Amino acid sequence: MHPFTLSTVDDPAAAIAAHARDPELAFIAGGTDLIGLMKDHVALPERLLDINRLPNMARIEAVPDGGLRIGALTRMSDVAADMEVRRRFPVIAEALLFSASGQLRNMASMGGNIMQRTRCAYFRDEDDPPCNKRRPGSGCSARHGLNRNHAIFGWSESCVATNPSDVAVALAALDATIVVRGTAGERAIPSTDFHPLPGDAPERDNALGRGDLIVSIEVPACAEGRASHYLKIRDRQSYEFALVSAAAAVATDGRSIRSARLALGGVAHKPWRLRAAEMALRGASLDDIDTLRAAIARSFTEARPLAHNAFKIDLAQRVALRALQTAGARA
Amino acid sequence: MNAIGRPISRFDGRLKVTGGARYTADIPIPGATYAAIVHSSIANGRTVSIDTTAAEKAPGVLAVFTHRNMPRMNPTPKPWSHLHPHGQSYLPLQDERIHYAGQPIAFVVAATLDQATHAGTLIRVEYEARQPVVFGPQTARDAVDPPQFLWPVASSVGDAEKAIAGAAVKMECTYSTSDRHHNQMEPHATTAVWDADGALTLYETTQHIFGTRELVSIVLGVPPEKINVMSHFLGGGFGGKAYVWPHTLLAALAAKTLNRPVRVQLTRAQMYSMVGHQPATVQTIALGAGKDGKLTGIRHESISPTPVFDNYIEYAALVARSLWAASGGISTNHKVVHVNRNTPTAMRSPHEALGHFALESAMDELAYATGVDPVALRLLNDTQIDPHSGRPFSTRAMRTCLTAGAARFGWDKRTPEPRSMRDGRYLIGQGMAGAIYTHWRWPAKARVILKRDGSALVEAGTHDLGTGTYTVMRQVAADTLGLPPEKVSVRLGDTRLPASHASIGSATMANAGASVMLAAKAARDRAIELALCGRNAPFSGELRDDVLISDGRLVLARKNLQITYAELLARNGLATLVGDGNYDPVEEANGPKAIFSFAAVFAEVRVDPDLGLVRLNRFLGMYDAGRTINPKTARSQAIGGIIWGVGQALLEQSETDPMLGRFLNRNYSGYLVPTNADIPALDVLFVGEFDEEASPLGAKGLGELTAVSVAPAIANAVYHATGKRVRDLPITVEKLL
Repeated sequence: MHPFTLSTVDDPAAAIAAHARDPELAFIAGGTDLIGLMKDHVALPERLLDINRLPNMARIEAVPDGGLRIGALTRMSDVAADMEVRRRFPVIAEALLFSASGQLRNMASMGGNIMQRTRCAYFRDEDDPPCNKRRPGSGCSARHGLNRNHAIFGWSESCVATNPSDVAVALAALDATIVVRGTAGERAIPSTDFHPLPGDAPERDNALGRGDLIVSIEVPACAEGRASHYLKIRDRQSYEFALVSAAAAVATDGRSIRSARLALGGVAHKPWRLRAAEMALRGASLDDIDTLRAAIARSFTEARPLAHNAFKIDLAQRVALRALQTAGARA
Repeated sequence: MNAIGRPISRFDGRLKVTGGARYTADIPIPGATYAAIVHSSIANGRTVSIDTTAAEKAPGVLAVFTHRNMPRMNPTPKPWSHLHPHGQSYLPLQDERIHYAGQPIAFVVAATLDQATHAGTLIRVEYEARQPVVFGPQTARDAVDPPQFLWPVASSVGDAEKAIAGAAVKMECTYSTSDRHHNQMEPHATTAVWDADGALTLYETTQHIFGTRELVSIVLGVPPEKINVMSHFLGGGFGGKAYVWPHTLLAALAAKTLNRPVRVQLTRAQMYSMVGHQPATVQTIALGAGKDGKLTGIRHESISPTPVFDNYIEYAALVARSLWAASGGISTNHKVVHVNRNTPTAMRSPHEALGHFALESAMDELAYATGVDPVALRLLNDTQIDPHSGRPFSTRAMRTCLTAGAARFGWDKRTPEPRSMRDGRYLIGQGMAGAIYTHWRWPAKARVILKRDGSALVEAGTHDLGTGTYTVMRQVAADTLGLPPEKVSVRLGDTRLPASHASIGSATMANAGASVMLAAKAARDRAIELALCGRNAPFSGELRDDVLISDGRLVLARKNLQITYAELLARNGLATLVGDGNYDPVEEANGPKAIFSFAAVFAEVRVDPDLGLVRLNRFLGMYDAGRTINPKTARSQAIGGIIWGVGQALLEQSETDPMLGRFLNRNYSGYLVPTNADIPALDVLFVGEFDEEASPLGAKGLGELTAVSVAPAIANAVYHATGKRVRDLPITVEKLL
């Protein structure tokens, strides 16, 4: 491992200032992704700044209007176990519980979770094969290599990686916002804009810049929150990243869908919201499988397979349908 | 109060769960230095330059070795000999050639592990790279005939081709299995320590201490009596630690050059290239049968990859030689393809676990082609004569395994039609397979020392791979000596102890165990001798056959006389009484009987047809592995073997990038092994029949048998559930959508 120094900070302004002026400094909270990246020589920070002591950033507030404010340093396991989270937005609790292992969830922070980097095996290979995300301009080994686990939406010739976060998919479906404090003050970034598509700059994983610190994640109240579900498909039953996952939330009149929210994981460089499907689902009956299937298919006209993942186009639609049906059964 | 046959918990269990058991890399060595291995990122070509300047100046660095300054090594006579087991013939850091990705190219020694690892990253390597050759459908066409190293490469009994051509029912299919890695929890490690007299001590993660000594002796040119190898506990071996791999040789030579102890431990990623793996296979099976399902001919051929410098054969077609009878003939053959990779090696249930997937899948296809029930089909083709050698089997309880296993599983409730069984939205499938496993008879020595305090010590140069050797050897010695097992202690894993064989091939119980039994008998007989004719002999003038042994006492029941071991030793002024055991059996191949273990296994899967997900509902294995010494450790072996097979069936594949020629998923997050959530309750049954040909203990090999045929049973269950025949492992989602 590249040698580094570790220090701690208890004042947010000091943390932000340090990060802004020092390009070789990285924040560390749970460290569950960063340490692995450092061991694999993907991340080589000279200095780590431990932000776990920053005040008031590890709590969950149930906002009276029905929303949530989740501090960025809250541990995944604490959010998953929170009664209000489970009551208002089961999709969030489920997405967290299907992530990682119990030990990792006890360490990993919510802010760190949505910043975790792709699991693309080329990106994480300690022997440093061509990867534009890791070394801009070096090429993409996965584009014509082994790409079963890679994107079917929004990829570019520069990068075909997917985002590995489960809870980010739930947050995207719920139109959560990421509250960020930087040198110029605080701003709120819609969660659907937090992760960019790779385009020509796949080295960018998210909308954060130097001096930016995620403070909290805000989930607005919504009619669909309670009837929501996260379905994760993976080769083994536990402790694996998604092959395809879906976050679904619905509001209904009887068996008729008033509004639906759908987002997919494991299919793109960001959580992939199925907006065309959501539009088409309005008014559909939860019992009319053919109509539901056709509505979901509307969001797949732009899907493009790679050499080894064409099956994911079919699988993702099936997963979205099943998630929607399960969420609907909770309405 | 027999200890043998009782489900005794491991005596070393508490040590292990409390961290008291010291594994190789945990043993503190005064003055130890630490090494990191730098490996090649290309798979074919050569290094043009290796710039070590920055690494040599890095903090704590003591030396950087490359092919330029690593002392020369002696070539080995032939790889894979059990006497001097070298994992591969290519020796590390001897020249600039690169034959495979992940090949060692530099060895950095520093005061701490972190310093060595960091210095390794400062080494700059310039390569001349050539396109690597990788194993795949196109290279498989370049398969060649390899020289023999274990069994004959090809076999032919009768005329299989003619029998198949003339059969009423014939079929031919190709099956393939993936590259897999052992992924032991404990990474390979070596600590090499030279003393002032030029003697070498190796603390080594090995399943074969004596073989390691011989091989290191040859390569380093040091007499074997100057080398001591120790392996007290292993955190998993699975065959991956049976041979000597480059890191051991590098550590030994670096320690000699520096005159300091050197410790090296492979990184998780390096465990994919610096030690062996199980190679992929492409197997073709042709079967001929009557309409009643009776086999007339079997042809089984297998192709597997091997490196450019070795001819490693994965003997997948071996199983067809002896599993089922075929009236017209059986032929088998193996070919290899030379590619840019490191040398494969034996991995739990080598050969058999791959071959059974093909053969027992094909048998299921034959069952459907003929309309004969899969269990009935196997009963129909069962045999008490080994088709390959013509010898009778010593014991073959296949029929019991099939019928009792089927009864316990509830096979009669299965409806044979695919997609005919459901549970709500899930399709339910039930499949089964038979299994056969090679039994080895190897020489082994042991010593048993009776002590004046009435306790006994077993000393044997065998190993505990995590399987329970410390416990079962106690049981064997305790029963032979008439002592409670608590009074017996066991020392293993040290070349200063009596020489034993490699702990591979599921052979430790039957062979090393036999040597312990013989040693205990010798010690006991010496004690009886003293009781009859020693100083102040209590049974003077009595007959040897009248003396019984029980609870640490010699008893002459007829005269109501008894004496404890302790008192007997005291009376004779002896501190100890030593018995030597020398088990020297005829090799199985040269014996009058064919010796194998057998099993029948049954799987039930649940398939979500919309999502292509297969989950195991339940699994039952019934095993004929001879006499069961300890039902608890035996069950532990069996459930571990089944889980191992579930990985093969549903999850495990080491993926090779076609351009880079390297294994890509070199970690636990990319290489999937089953988690607890993937494994339901497992039902394990033993026939338990004493096999006197297999071992004086009556035991046959068990550990590897249990990982055999899990994959075809699951694949057959998936076919029954879905109507889809998957002939390519692992069975993943995309194959079922």
